[in-house]
Amino acid sequence: MGRFVLVNLWAKKGRSFGITLAVALAVMTVVTLAAVSNGLKNSATQVLEISKSDFTVAQKAAPDILNSTIDSHQLAEIRATRGVASAIGVLLETQDLNAANPLFIEIGIQPGDLRRFGVTMVAGRPYAADASHEVMLGWRAAQNWGLRVGDIFHANGTWNRVVGIYSTGISYGDLGAMFPLPALQAYNRVPGALTLIFVKVTPGDSVAKVAAAVDYNHPELTTIRTASQFGRADRNLVFLGAAATGSTVLAILIGAIIVGNTMLLSLFERTREFGVLRAVGWSRSRLVALVGSEILVLAVAGSMLGIGFSFAAAAVLEILPPLRGVLHSDFTTVGFLRGLYTGIGMAVIGALYPALRAAHLTPLRALTHE
Amino acid sequence: MSDDVVDPAPRARPIIECRGVEKVYEDGSVHALRGLDLEVAPGELLAITGPSGCGKSTLLHLLAALDTPTAGSIRVGEYDLARLRRPDHYRREEVGLVFQLHNLMPQLSAVGNVEVVMVGTHRRRRDRAARARELLAAVDLLPLADRRPPQLSGGERQRVAIARALANDPRVLLADEPTGSLDSDSVRTVLGVFERLRDDLGVTVVLVTHDESVARIADRTVEMLDGRVRHPDGEVEAPEVRGPSALPLGR
Repeated sequence: MGRFVLVNLWAKKGRSFGITLAVALAVMTVVTLAAVSNGLKNSATQVLEISKSDFTVAQKAAPDILNSTIDSHQLAEIRATRGVASAIGVLLETQDLNAANPLFIEIGIQPGDLRRFGVTMVAGRPYAADASHEVMLGWRAAQNWGLRVGDIFHANGTWNRVVGIYSTGISYGDLGAMFPLPALQAYNRVPGALTLIFVKVTPGDSVAKVAAAVDYNHPELTTIRTASQFGRADRNLVFLGAAATGSTVLAILIGAIIVGNTMLLSLFERTREFGVLRAVGWSRSRLVALVGSEILVLAVAGSMLGIGFSFAAAAVLEILPPLRGVLHSDFTTVGFLRGLYTGIGMAVIGALYPALRAAHLTPLRALTHE
Repeated sequence: MSDDVVDPAPRARPIIECRGVEKVYEDGSVHALRGLDLEVAPGELLAITGPSGCGKSTLLHLLAALDTPTAGSIRVGEYDLARLRRPDHYRREEVGLVFQLHNLMPQLSAVGNVEVVMVGTHRRRRDRAARARELLAAVDLLPLADRRPPQLSGGERQRVAIARALANDPRVLLADEPTGSLDSDSVRTVLGVFERLRDDLGVTVVLVTHDESVARIADRTVEMLDGRVRHPDGEVEAPEVRGPSALPLGR
């Protein structure tokens, strides 16, 4: 039957192409959204990975993790929590330096916390705690800007001398710059404010219990131990994930309507053909298998095409001015599978009714169909 | 053997037996068959003639299990059509159908049109293709086997349709006005094929036709009128029963 299926599809090239394209566009939307969502999530979770902490504390349900606001008193209270070995308060800000760096990451951290935060000096020295106009650049940022120790780096509306080059081992951190905490707070007019607190638990103590204690004592804050808990602090990612799921469902429904409509038209065109097949002894199930196989071939072809399209779509999104340097699409097997089941799902749902109608045509009525 | 098979009948029995067949269409307005009785012997070439609306095509549809009788009984071979549970199996195994309009699939070649009937049978793909070419050779169309229907003449298309009808070795071939849309040359060729089927393969052929030339090649012609078989003497005519065919279509 395979050859018959292919011959039928080839015989109606326009219809086959239309269905394939509909599937491809739906799959492209779903896979691209999944890749974008993953990319943004990765970027965000990398913030947490810069430190090698046991858990991170952020403001609960902030629209974006970079908008989390914690004050220094809360840092002191968390440091005093039983089982907490160290708690590092960090201010994270972004600067629009130029078109290529619209969201340059700046980290405000006390020099005494650098080692525990996982920072290794590659060149130069750490800045002084109360220094103004001193900055450390991540080695990737220094490379991108072509700056070395002693050079001047302009940011936050002022000049800053590069006193050191550092590495965190996380590309997100190494693409940014570190400033003395009070200096960055002053530049951004948020004295005493922190974005995140990175907590290390005393060896032997339970991370879960200490995190639970922080959650209990600070209902306005939330603890994050895994990437999956990220949504507690970053509502945008939750919304993005929901949008990705919603778009999958919508793509399946809209695609199914398009496929179903096209298949139904095709059914009317092929009524006589189906009647002949039934008259020469084809069973209903064989006819359903024929229609099902045809749509399955188109669904798989459309899904493959859609996955190909999604690479192009993601590449275009990555170079759009508002997203340049921010969006790094992350294509995962899960994203591809989601695309595949979207394609197959819309095709199967769309073809179900036409296939059943074809199967229930009486051969005599089908043969006399004009 | 199929679930639909009743008692295996001796070969001397008529291969088709219709008893008191009635067909009233659903809305009750048309009484197409009125107590029709008919027997067809194995290997017989029977022509059914009659004016339009006399019930010829209805009878053929009933014999092909494309429709069901309102009353009466129809037996074809070992199948009781009134108790048929798998009509698709019956149509695949027992009868071959030839339509007035050939109803070939334009996207398939001649050989593909014959082969598609065998999809889902015990035959392997290679065997199906070989069988399809063998049948096209039997209707003198092997050189045109790879052409598609639009590239064939009316008579050639009808011969492909006959080859298709024979694909699964049916014992009975049912043809509805097979020469109705053909020119006289094509009619002669197609009728020659039907004769060869009867003479060489022993296939029982039932032809519904308006064409008098068809009646000339038939072993017997019955005329239908108002849903009944009309006999010249007004009595039921017992058909001549032939012996087993020398070429029983590979069964």
